[in-house]
Amino acid sequence: RISSDGKLAKFQPPPKPVIIDKQKQREERRFLSPEFIPPRGRTDPLKFYMERKDMIQRRKVFNIPEFYVGSVLAVTTADLYANEKANRFVGICIQRGGKGLGATFVLRNVIEDQGVEICYELYSPRIQAIEVLKLEKRLDDNLMYLRDALPEYSTFDVNMKPVSHLDHEEVPVNKLQVRMKPKPWSKRWERPKYNIKGIKFELPEKTMKEAQKWSQPWLEFDMLREYDTSKIEEKIWKEVSEELKK
Amino acid sequence: MMPIWTKSGKKHAVTLLKVQDCHVLRYISKEESGGKTSKLLVGGKNASPFFKSESTMEIFKEAGVPRKQKVSTFNVTDDAIIKPGTPLYAAHFRPGQFVDVTAKTIGKGFQGVMKRWGFKGQPASHGQTKTHRRPGAISTNKAAKVYRGKKMPGKMGNIYRTTLGLKVWRINTKHDIIYVNGSVPGHTNCLVKVKDSKLSTYKDCNKNPPFPTFFADGDEKLPEDLYDEEMFQFTDPSITYA
Repeated sequence: RISSDGKLAKFQPPPKPVIIDKQKQREERRFLSPEFIPPRGRTDPLKFYMERKDMIQRRKVFNIPEFYVGSVLAVTTADLYANEKANRFVGICIQRGGKGLGATFVLRNVIEDQGVEICYELYSPRIQAIEVLKLEKRLDDNLMYLRDALPEYSTFDVNMKPVSHLDHEEVPVNKLQVRMKPKPWSKRWERPKYNIKGIKFELPEKTMKEAQKWSQPWLEFDMLREYDTSKIEEKIWKEVSEELKK
Repeated sequence: MMPIWTKSGKKHAVTLLKVQDCHVLRYISKEESGGKTSKLLVGGKNASPFFKSESTMEIFKEAGVPRKQKVSTFNVTDDAIIKPGTPLYAAHFRPGQFVDVTAKTIGKGFQGVMKRWGFKGQPASHGQTKTHRRPGAISTNKAAKVYRGKKMPGKMGNIYRTTLGLKVWRINTKHDIIYVNGSVPGHTNCLVKVKDSKLSTYKDCNKNPPFPTFFADGDEKLPEDLYDEEMFQFTDPSITYA
């Protein structure tokens, strides 16, 4: 190359590109689905190993996304008696139960002023697609109190567009305090055993004080109830992530 | 227990049974046993050989096998006799077969008449004096005695019971596991006896079973998992009703 001077310019190497290793940022955040963690009991670990193999096999063929209680999902199942032989339901996940292959999640929505809750099995072959429309967490693990809350908190548009969520960002926690319908409720949610933080209690102070009579402050110190899952989770996370990468 | 789905989308519950170090211990001929057929003694799970009398250890020494925790007899026809000392594997059974499972039920201890026999008891209120879970009358006036076998409180459970006609859905040859439909008597990790079904409806269910048993050093190389035809395998895509 000849520069404007007419002499050959000294070769300038191009500037080094800045590589942002996004994989490293992603690996810092791990999510192990709660149904992989075996319950405490006297069952042979071989049984959990066989179940995990089946679960991983199913996940290789069908994508089960990461979601928490409080995220809005859309599930399409194969239905023999529907028009297109497929049934789509949108709702907020209020509960995740069961361990192993029988893991379930309950979706709630209010359709034409009628509250509808459907319990789906995560590993059932009839489920054709699970999409996460909104990924977020709430203050509680169990949102069953939405049955006694005002219907506006359980209504979600059936044709709502998925809200984008970046991979490496942390899952947002929605600190919404829900307003309830007047009492009687299906369960006495003000009692400490449910430990609910997501309700705006507009009850008189006398009721709240009386509800504290049923508190069991010794429960958190009970050593026999402790179940430390950190080491088990580590092992299972390594196993599952290795298998899924193949 | 685990769920299992069929190709039409129906869910069934399944029990996992592990075949742990099973060996044939002894052959007892028809004349010796005094029954209609000859018998084969089969031993289960390995156990420690210490602190046991010589007479009990004789059977295991003859067969050349470590001491087994459970020994059971199977009635066999003459053409199905196996040499003592051969190991038995889960591949002896095939998916689609029907099977009877025998085990000792969970022991409940000394139980009252309501739990043991399902009696209705007496009402909780309206004047009942100290009588809410009692059997009531035990016989009539004319009989003037109590019949033998009268249902009364006593030790419940811890007896051998059989569940008949259970379908085998899947067999894992690597870990020797049999997936059997429905529930099975006994607590988790208890020892269980599995036989071919005696029910007449399942007489012709076996199409070419491994006869007399599955030999690991033979020519047959089985895949790791054997599935029943109707069972949904997780390698297939999701079910659609087209």
